[in-house]
Amino acid sequence: MSTRYTPILSLLTEDLLIQVNEKLVQDSDRKKWRLICKEFHRVDSLTRKTLRVLHVEFLLTLLKNYTNLHTLDLSVCPRIEDGTISLLLHHVDHSIWARNLKCLNLSRANGLKFAGLEMLVGACKGLESVDVSYCCGFGDREAAAISGCEGLRELRMDKCLGVGDVGLAKIVVGCGRLERLSLKWCMEISDLGVELLCKKCLELKFLDVSYLKVTSESLRSIASLPKLEDLAMVGCPYVNDVGLQFLEIGCPSLQKIDVARCDCVSSSGLSSLIGGHSGLLHIDAGHCFSEVSPTIVKCIQKLKNLNTIIIDGIRVSDTIFQTISSTCNSLIEIGLSKCEGVTNMGIIKLVSGCVNLKIINLTCCRSIANAAICAIANSCRNLLCLKLESCNMITGKSLEQLGLHCLLLEVLDLTDCCGINDRGLERLYRCSRILCLKLGLCTNISDKGLFYIASSCPELQDLDLYRCQNIGDDGLAALSSGCKKLRKLNLSYCVEVTDKGSKSLGYLEELSDLELRGLDKITSVGLTALVTRCKRLIYLDLKHCEKIDDSGFQALAYYSRNLRQGGWGNQDTAMNKNECIAIFYGDTRYLNETE
Amino acid sequence: MEPNDRLSLDAWANPSSSCNGLPRKMSLENPSFTNFNLQQQEQKWDDTSILNYGIRIEPPFLEFNQASESEYLLSSTCNNQPKVLDQEDGLNNEALQTSKSLDWDPRTMLNNLSFLEQKIHHLQDLVHLIVGRKGQALGGHDQLVTQQQQLITADLTSIIVQLISTAGSLLPSVKHKLSTGPPNGQLGEFLFPPLAGMNCVPQPQHGSGSKAVQPLQHGSGSKAVQPQCVTGSKVSDQCNQMDVTGSFGTEQNLSIEEHEMKEEEDADEGENLPPGSYDILQLEKEEILAPHTHFCTICGKGFKRDANLRMHMRGHGDEYKTPAALAKPNKESSLEPVIIKRYSCPFAGCKRNKDHKKFQPLKTILCVKNHYKRTHCDKSYICSRCNTKKFSVMADLKTHEKHCGKDKWLCSCGTTFSRKDKLFGHIALFQGHTPAIPLEETKGPSLSCDKMDGNEASNKSGNINFSFGSNAGGGAQNIIEVKEDADDPASYFSPLSFDTCNFGGFHEFPRPTFDDSESSFSFLEAP
Repeated sequence: MSTRYTPILSLLTEDLLIQVNEKLVQDSDRKKWRLICKEFHRVDSLTRKTLRVLHVEFLLTLLKNYTNLHTLDLSVCPRIEDGTISLLLHHVDHSIWARNLKCLNLSRANGLKFAGLEMLVGACKGLESVDVSYCCGFGDREAAAISGCEGLRELRMDKCLGVGDVGLAKIVVGCGRLERLSLKWCMEISDLGVELLCKKCLELKFLDVSYLKVTSESLRSIASLPKLEDLAMVGCPYVNDVGLQFLEIGCPSLQKIDVARCDCVSSSGLSSLIGGHSGLLHIDAGHCFSEVSPTIVKCIQKLKNLNTIIIDGIRVSDTIFQTISSTCNSLIEIGLSKCEGVTNMGIIKLVSGCVNLKIINLTCCRSIANAAICAIANSCRNLLCLKLESCNMITGKSLEQLGLHCLLLEVLDLTDCCGINDRGLERLYRCSRILCLKLGLCTNISDKGLFYIASSCPELQDLDLYRCQNIGDDGLAALSSGCKKLRKLNLSYCVEVTDKGSKSLGYLEELSDLELRGLDKITSVGLTALVTRCKRLIYLDLKHCEKIDDSGFQALAYYSRNLRQGGWGNQDTAMNKNECIAIFYGDTRYLNETE
Repeated sequence: MEPNDRLSLDAWANPSSSCNGLPRKMSLENPSFTNFNLQQQEQKWDDTSILNYGIRIEPPFLEFNQASESEYLLSSTCNNQPKVLDQEDGLNNEALQTSKSLDWDPRTMLNNLSFLEQKIHHLQDLVHLIVGRKGQALGGHDQLVTQQQQLITADLTSIIVQLISTAGSLLPSVKHKLSTGPPNGQLGEFLFPPLAGMNCVPQPQHGSGSKAVQPLQHGSGSKAVQPQCVTGSKVSDQCNQMDVTGSFGTEQNLSIEEHEMKEEEDADEGENLPPGSYDILQLEKEEILAPHTHFCTICGKGFKRDANLRMHMRGHGDEYKTPAALAKPNKESSLEPVIIKRYSCPFAGCKRNKDHKKFQPLKTILCVKNHYKRTHCDKSYICSRCNTKKFSVMADLKTHEKHCGKDKWLCSCGTTFSRKDKLFGHIALFQGHTPAIPLEETKGPSLSCDKMDGNEASNKSGNINFSFGSNAGGGAQNIIEVKEDADDPASYFSPLSFDTCNFGGFHEFPRPTFDDSESSFSFLEAP
C-alpha cells in the first residue's frame, strides 16, 4: 500500500521498515523517522514499545496511536489524576493500550489517588512492573489498589510516605510473586510489615528497606528469604550486628549487600555477614564504622568474585588495598569517598591487581596526587568513571595520562580541583565519549577550556561549570555548537555570561536542566531568546538573576511548556511576577517555587 | 380461694388417679393440699437449674457414704418405713404429733427443727433437681437421665436416713410411738412438698395434719401459680416409680457404683486427676440456662446465690434468723474429706461431655454455665457500639465493651484485633487474608471525585460506572451492611467514609460501609 505514494517504498516491505526502525535508538532520530511519511509513522506506531509522555494533554491521542506499548512512563507527567485515568480507559478504543502494558512508571504522580490507581490496575491486567516512587501522598489505600496487580514482579515505592505495614500487607498478599521491591523511605513500615513480606513473598530477589525504622528482627525474617540476591538497607539506625548474624546463616543466594550508614553496624557484624557469603559480589558499607579492622581485611580475602566495594568515609590503610589487589581481581568499582588514609601508594597497589576497575570514586581523598591518577590511567584501561572532587593536588598531568589511556571515560568529576586549567582540558581530547564532566569551582578554566571541551566531547550531556568565573559568552558559543547533546548545564555564578551567551545556549535543543543562578548580566531579552528555542526545559533556576523582568517571565511562561521546577526570586521587578507565576501554575501545577 | 379452686381442679386429676386408695375424707382438705403441691412444682419449674444444688447435694451424700455404709441397707429399708408408716398411721399420727411437739421443750425443739429444716432444704433441692430432670426427660431423653436420676435418689435416701437418725436422737424421752411419729411427721412435712413428684400418695396424708406445712401453704397459696398440665402428668409418672422406694434404694446403690466406674474410665483419658478422685456431675441444659438457681420456698422469689436466699429468708420469720439457719448449709460436712467434683457438659459430642473420648471435665458449675453458653448457645448479646461482636455470656460482652473501639486492627475476614502484631500473625497464617484499612484518610479521594465529575461532566456517568464497577464484587456484602445501619448513621465513623468505600478500595472491609448504590449518593446529599 505504501507503493502508492513513492516508488522507493515499493522496495521496502513493512518487515524491512520495522527492522530499520528498530535500529534507531535516539529519540530525535525516531522523531525524524515519524515525520517522513504516514507509512513510516504507522510503522513507528506499531513497533513502539515504550512511551514517555511529557504532557498529559497528549496522552489520549498518543495512547490511541500506540497500542503495542509495553512500557508507559508518566513520571514526568505529574498532572495525571483519577479523572484522567478514567478518561483514558473509556475513550481510547476500549483501552487496548492497557492490555499489553507490562511496565508502568507513575513516579511522582501525586495527583493520582487510589480510585484512579484501582481503575488503572484493573485495566492493566498484565502489569509486571510498577513504579510509584516519590508519590509522597500515597498511603495504605493506594497500596491496596496496587495490590490488585496479581502478576506484579517489580514494585518501587520509594518515599510513599503514607504506606505503612497495612499497605505493605495488602501488597504482599495481593502480589505474592514479587521479585523486586523497594520500600525506601516508607517510614511507616516496621518489623511487622517486613516479617509478613518475608513470609508471603518468597520469590523476592531484591529488597530495599533503606531508611526504615526496622530492627534486627526484620533481618531475622529477611534471612529466611531463599532467593534474595540483593539487599539494600541504607541508613537503618536500629539494625545491629545481631541482625547481620541472622543474614550470615540465611539468604543463601545473597550477592549484594548495602549496609551504608547503618550506625549500629560494626566491622565485626559485617565480617560475620561476609563470612557466611563468600559469593558476595557487591558490598556497600559506607559510613558504617570508623575504621577497617583486620578482621574485615581477613574476610575480604575470601571474596574472590567481588565486583564492587564501597567503604566511603571509613579510615583505611594500605593493607586493605594490598588485600583487595591480590584477591579481588574482578573488582569493577571501588568507592573511597571521604576515606581517610588513602595514599598514592595505596592506590598504586590497588590498581596493580585490579586492572578491571571501571569506576573509581576518590572524592575528598585529598592526599591523592598525580602519581596515583597516572597509575590508574596506566592500569585501568576500561575506566568509565573517575571522581576526583576536591583532590587539590591533581594537575593537567593526570588529565594527560587519562586522555592517553582511558579512552572509554564517560564520567569525570573534577569539581574543586584548582589544579586543573585550560591546558589540562586540552589533554582530554581523545576522551571523546565523555558524557558527564564536572568542573565546578575550577576557577582556572576559561573560554579556551570550553572550546577544547566542545571540540573533543561531542557526546557530552552533563556539564557543570558552577562558579567558573572566567567563563564568558564565547565559551558558551563554542559549547552550543560542539556539544549538541547537552542536557544539563550549570552556569551558576559564571558572572561574565550575558544575553549573548544565553542566546547561544538556545541552540542546545536537548537542554532540559539549566541553572543560571546569580547571572546578573542576563536580562529578559536573553531569557526570551533562550526559552523560545529550548523547548525541552524542565528545570530552570533563575535565582538572583536580577535583571530579568516580567517580559522574561512571560516568555518563559509562554514557551517553556515542559517546565516542572523553577527557582526564581530576588528579582527587582516583582510587580507582575505573581501574574506570570499564575500563568505558570496554569501549566505546571507542580512547579516548585523557591523564593 | 378462686385460684385455689382452679388449681385443685387441675391438680385433682393426678393425685386422684394415682391415689385411688386414699381415704376420701381427705377430700375436704385436699384443695389446699394439691395447691401446695402444685406450688412446689411450680417453683421447681422456675428454678430448673440447680447450680448450687449440686454442691449442696454433695455433702450429705458423702456423709452418708462414709458414715453409714453399713446402715445403708438399713436405711434403705427404713426409707420406705416412714412411708409405710405414713400410709398406715395416716391422719391419726398427725394430730398426736402436733399436740405432743407443742408440749415438748420448745427451745431444743426449735434447734432440732432448724437443723431438720436445713436437711429438708437439701432434700427439697434434690427434688427440685429431680423435677428438672424430669422436665428434660419429658423433652425426650434417655439413659443419661435415668442414671442421673438414680444418683439423685441415692442422695435422697442418704439425707432421709440422716433426718431420721437425728430426729430420733433428738427426742429420746418420747414414747416409742411418738419418737417415730414426730420425726416422721416432720419428715413428711418437709419431705413431701419437694417429693411431691415422687410420692403423691403419702403426701396428702401428712400434709393435712402438719402445722409446718400449713403456713407454707397459706403464705404461698395465693401466689401459687397456674398449674401446668405437664406437672400433672409428671406427677403421675413419678407416682408409679416412687411407690417402690424401698427396694429402689439398694438397686440404685449398685447402679450408682456402676455409673461411677464408667465415669472413672472416661476421666482416665481426660484429666490428670487419678481415677476415682473426683465425681462427675452433669447438669441439664435447662438447669444451666436458668437465670436463678435458688428459690424461696415461701414466696418463690429467685436468687443467684444461696447466701442471698438465706438473707432473704430472714424476712419470713424468726426461725430463719438463727445462726444455724444463716450458716452455710454444707459447713458441717467440711469436716469430711472432700471428694473433688467435676462437671460434664450435657451436650452430646462436646469434648466436655463425659461420653467424649477425650473428655475434659469442667471444674466448677460456673465453668459449666459459661462453657455451655459460649459453645452451645446463640450469641444473643450484641455489642451496641460495634454492632458486630456477639456474645452469649453477658460478662463477655461487658469485657468486650471495655475494649470495643480499641480493636482497630481489622482483617478482611472481619476478625478484629486489639494489637497489630496479632493481626499480622493472623494474616500470615491465612491465605488471602489482608488487613482492612480504617476509614480515616478519606479526604483526598473525595476531592478528586468532585474534580473528576466537574471536569468531565459529559461523561460523568460512564466515569462513575467504571470507578464503581470495580467494587461490584464486594458490593453485595456492603449493601447489606448499609441497610442494617441505615437508620443509625451515627454509628459510622464519619460521613466521609462514603467517598472511600464508593471507590471500592475496600470490598473486604467488614465494618458497615457505603456501597456504590444510589443510597450512598443520597447520603452524601443529606447533611
